[in-house]
Amino acid sequence: MTGFARLRKRASSGLALAIALVAVGIGYSVAAPNSSAQDAGLSVEAMAGQEIYENGCITCHGRNLQGVEDQGPSLIGVGEASVYFQVGTGRMPLVQQEAQAQRKTPAYDDAQVNQLMAYIQANGGGPQLPSEGDLRDGDLAEGGELFRLNCASCHNFVGRGGALSSGKNAPSLNESSDLDLYTAMLSGPQNMPVFGDNQLSPEDKRAVINYVQTLKETADPGGANIGRAGPVPEGLVVWVVGIVGCVIACLWVGTRS
Amino acid sequence: MSRADLVTLGGKMDGVQVIYAEQPVEPGSAAERRAERQVGASFVGAGLAALAFMVVYVAWPWEVDTAGGGVGLATLYTPLLGLLMALALTLIGVGVVLWAKKLMPYEVAVQERHEGASPEIERQTTAATLVDVGNATGIARRTLVKRSLGFGGLMLGLMAVFPLGGLIKKPGTALSETPWEEGMPLLGLNGLPIRPADMRPGSLQTVFPAVEGGSRSADGVAMLIRLLPNQVADYRAREGQEDFHWNDFVAYSKICTHAGCPVSLYEQETARILCPCHQSQFVATDGAKSIFGPATRSLPQLAIEVDGDGYFVAKGDFTEPIGPAYWERST
Repeated sequence: MTGFARLRKRASSGLALAIALVAVGIGYSVAAPNSSAQDAGLSVEAMAGQEIYENGCITCHGRNLQGVEDQGPSLIGVGEASVYFQVGTGRMPLVQQEAQAQRKTPAYDDAQVNQLMAYIQANGGGPQLPSEGDLRDGDLAEGGELFRLNCASCHNFVGRGGALSSGKNAPSLNESSDLDLYTAMLSGPQNMPVFGDNQLSPEDKRAVINYVQTLKETADPGGANIGRAGPVPEGLVVWVVGIVGCVIACLWVGTRS
Repeated sequence: MSRADLVTLGGKMDGVQVIYAEQPVEPGSAAERRAERQVGASFVGAGLAALAFMVVYVAWPWEVDTAGGGVGLATLYTPLLGLLMALALTLIGVGVVLWAKKLMPYEVAVQERHEGASPEIERQTTAATLVDVGNATGIARRTLVKRSLGFGGLMLGLMAVFPLGGLIKKPGTALSETPWEEGMPLLGLNGLPIRPADMRPGSLQTVFPAVEGGSRSADGVAMLIRLLPNQVADYRAREGQEDFHWNDFVAYSKICTHAGCPVSLYEQETARILCPCHQSQFVATDGAKSIFGPATRSLPQLAIEVDGDGYFVAKGDFTEPIGPAYWERST
């Protein structure tokens, strides 16, 4: 074999290798699982929600909603009810990692919350918002009984909230809307236990909401309610204000004698 | 004798002597009339406030309109009553104080101390009289009367204390047993049995024994908790209670082992059960072990299983007394 022929053979085999590599590369890129493959089939609204998610939530909840260790839980299957409660009340996105997310001015408007809800609901499903209808359409007395058994231990018997362990707390229900209450019971945000529809039926939930909202609207015929927290603060006020007032009066009388 | 002389004589007989007396105001002066007007105004004010109290009590609208958000005159009903009563009482007090300070004479009087005991003659005669009366009744001689009176008196006294005995009762097994028994369904507040699918992970439900009046059972009340999937791996039962849970479900007594409060503040993420009374904390994934606060014992665990129809039932009563410790408690 001449030197020229050897050179030509080398060139042709090199060319074949290059063609093969390119072919494999193209083939891989076509056939390989694509990280955004799950996006296929998302509605327009959900895709808009995904965009918001990837800007605002992805740091703590992960690229595929799987959650990030010590940062944020997985969102697969939490459902739109959870999104409504967490984002709609401003608890999410968090400002910083702390014991518990606090209610604040929502970062997203209603349309954006709806888009996020659609995106989360499209990934694993989960509890959904209640169908249309009056969320206070329930028996008041029954609602009171359910509230005292299931809710009052943490949220106080008139819904003023209370302390939990290690800096956490059960928030006051004063600012909660009907839908906030409903989605909270349904999704069990953070440390609140979940009250699924088989445990507390939609009718039961409406009764509880009716009770809570009626309590808030009830007047205080006795005058100042002092936090509505019952005899303990009332006694405290009597002692601090009343007794101190009496002592001051006695001292005053003494100085005038 | 004039009245003033009689007063002085009475004082002398009791060993009292006025050593300084002063009128705060000159009788008939402008200052006296002013003081009188002040006192009178206070008393009249008190009367008017009391009158206003009664008028408000009768005439003021008192029915609160809850539908209207509770604004209106009726919300002032109770506060007005309180204010008017306080005003009446305060003005009476102010009037009395003003009267005493501005109109009553100021005087200093001394009284001589005398011996504590009565004179010897009085003591001896009194003792003799008492003994004489005792003899006259003849109680010392008439033993029948004395003994029968003693008997009657004793029984009367006993009769008065006797009903207290009804308050003393041996508790028997009331403290150590609850209505739970093998195969008894766990009921929700609505009286319906519970299936595993009824509860989502991270939920808690208060459950009652399926007996008459079970939903008012103070000692049988329990918490059925479904742990989160990531908590199941951490679950550790107490020794000898390894088969008390059913898959990811656990049931504990709802009565705190410290002072008997209902512990149902459940933190689903940390699986902690908190007591609202004294801040005791129990860990649901660790056999409800007490980790904080004054409670020292774990919450008793209720052994549960699912029966053939797919409903939760108890596998028996609690294996230890629920609630706070008591004298005869063995563990």
